[in-house]
Amino acid sequence: MTRLRLLAGPDLSLGPERLHAHVERLGPTPVLGHSLIDMLEASGLTGRGGASFPVARKWRSVARHRGGPVVVVNGAEGEPQSLKDRVLMSTRPHLVLDGALLAARTLKASQVIVYVGEDHREARAAMAGALAERPDPELRRARLVAAPARYVAGESSAAVNLLDNSIASPMSKPPDPHEAGVGDAPTLVQNVESLAHVSLIARYGAEWFKSAGRRGGAGTVLITVAGAVPSPGVVEIEAGTTVREVLDMAGGVDPASRAVLIGGYFGTWVDFAAAQDLALDPAALRERGLGLGCGVVGVISSRGCGVCETARIMRYLAGESSAQCGPCFFGLRALADACGRIADKGSNADDLARLHRWARDVRGRGACRHPDGAAMFLQSALQTFAPEFSTHPAHWRANAGGRDAA
Amino acid sequence: MTDQLLWYTTRAAGAVSLVLLTAVVILGVLSALRFKTAGWPGFLTTGLHRNLALVTLVFLALHIVTAVVDPFTHLGWLSAIVPFSSYYRTFWLGLGTIAFELLAAIVVTSLLREYVGHATWRVIHWLTYAAWPIGVVHGLGTGTDAWSPWFFTLTLVCVAAVGFAVAYRLVAGSRDPLAAPRASFRSGVERKSEQ
Repeated sequence: MTRLRLLAGPDLSLGPERLHAHVERLGPTPVLGHSLIDMLEASGLTGRGGASFPVARKWRSVARHRGGPVVVVNGAEGEPQSLKDRVLMSTRPHLVLDGALLAARTLKASQVIVYVGEDHREARAAMAGALAERPDPELRRARLVAAPARYVAGESSAAVNLLDNSIASPMSKPPDPHEAGVGDAPTLVQNVESLAHVSLIARYGAEWFKSAGRRGGAGTVLITVAGAVPSPGVVEIEAGTTVREVLDMAGGVDPASRAVLIGGYFGTWVDFAAAQDLALDPAALRERGLGLGCGVVGVISSRGCGVCETARIMRYLAGESSAQCGPCFFGLRALADACGRIADKGSNADDLARLHRWARDVRGRGACRHPDGAAMFLQSALQTFAPEFSTHPAHWRANAGGRDAA
Repeated sequence: MTDQLLWYTTRAAGAVSLVLLTAVVILGVLSALRFKTAGWPGFLTTGLHRNLALVTLVFLALHIVTAVVDPFTHLGWLSAIVPFSSYYRTFWLGLGTIAFELLAAIVVTSLLREYVGHATWRVIHWLTYAAWPIGVVHGLGTGTDAWSPWFFTLTLVCVAAVGFAVAYRLVAGSRDPLAAPRASFRSGVERKSEQ
């Protein structure tokens, strides 16, 4: 059984844990100073927003640059399939705020901003309530800002752009936010799950963090299980737990299912059978050319159609381009069109060749990684669903598509 | 003979640079219009613009190096770097030095665009509108062939072509195909009042 850490304590259905209960259970926020960054480095904690960037390295970069830093607590969670940030904020808000407080104190931040998706009402209410309970001056002065419900709004430079210019579209880098972000101050934009882990590492140490984990993984990870599973939702697992074990936790899945999407819409489709023994751990997945992303594990059933599902997601991602860079806006639209033609009108060699070529062409050609994420997602679909893509039939009904197709 | 060869090379490279630079400027001016047809895809304008600019630098380097090493001119390397430092045609040569340095800044920031950022790159790229006329005046002012019919005609054609391209761009306006979708995306992610 998984040792619960972030989600340990009272039942999640009871809603946000209050400050007194949180302190009674875990003790007060420890006072550590700069040694916390060494502890984070020793723990090997990586960011849980999608990029799996080492947390200690980001903190060091913020600390190295001049000016009173800003800490942005990133709970935008724009990924449609992901729920884990919402669940964490709605049930353990003080774990997140402890992490924010530790970041603010360690980096001597002048400002803390809690950035939560505007549609995540429960999470926002829980964070607002939790902020009001905190006596710490850093958190009393914190601002709660609503993130627009768009895919790119949680990207770190988009968050900075919203806070500075009221527009949540990504900005070109350099400078990265950790060099010059909000008001040109070095800015730590950190996912809420990452901050919650920080608060526990500060209390119990790096060795304790690593004592959870299987097959070489360190610590625990929040996973959203989505798609064709009996009980979708958020589970906490030890890093290195296999996809098979995670799907068992979600009620067991039809062994004839077609494929698994690992990492959400910027993730990778993997053949269902091949995915079973994959260890869900950032480092282990990277070795296999995959990524944990935002921790989504999505299942498509044996009756689902990978082509139609891919076409739907590509259409969504194309619509989420902020239209700043031509290759992203026009490239993703062209890719979504070609995908949609195969899904609706049937497979054809021309569109297949275009998909392969354009998916290579759009990569690395945007101010942010939006085109890269969408192209990598598509490339994995072309590989995993290669038979379906080359034999997909035309749909007679004009608006056929989605899971009931094929 | 060698000395004459150097001098001929200087003059020829100067004339070639003028023509190439004019083509680069016109392509740059027109790239904002995003001109494309079935036979001329959009990337051709920008690709030509970039590659011709790099070729221009080669001819400019040839123009400068042959002028400096020519034993009859005694220009010295300093005059290639510091404007108005040459004893010979101080003003007109100084203009050439300035034009070259502006172009060097434009090329270097273009090659390092990822590092200097888009805004800085763009501002420095606007210096083209200073560098090109300064280069043309340098050619008319000091060129050995300046008032020969062929070179004068060439200069006139270049000036007319750039003038026409700029006028056309001003009249046609910048057709940004992303303007409408960008505005619509931005209106969706704009949040004026924060809690």
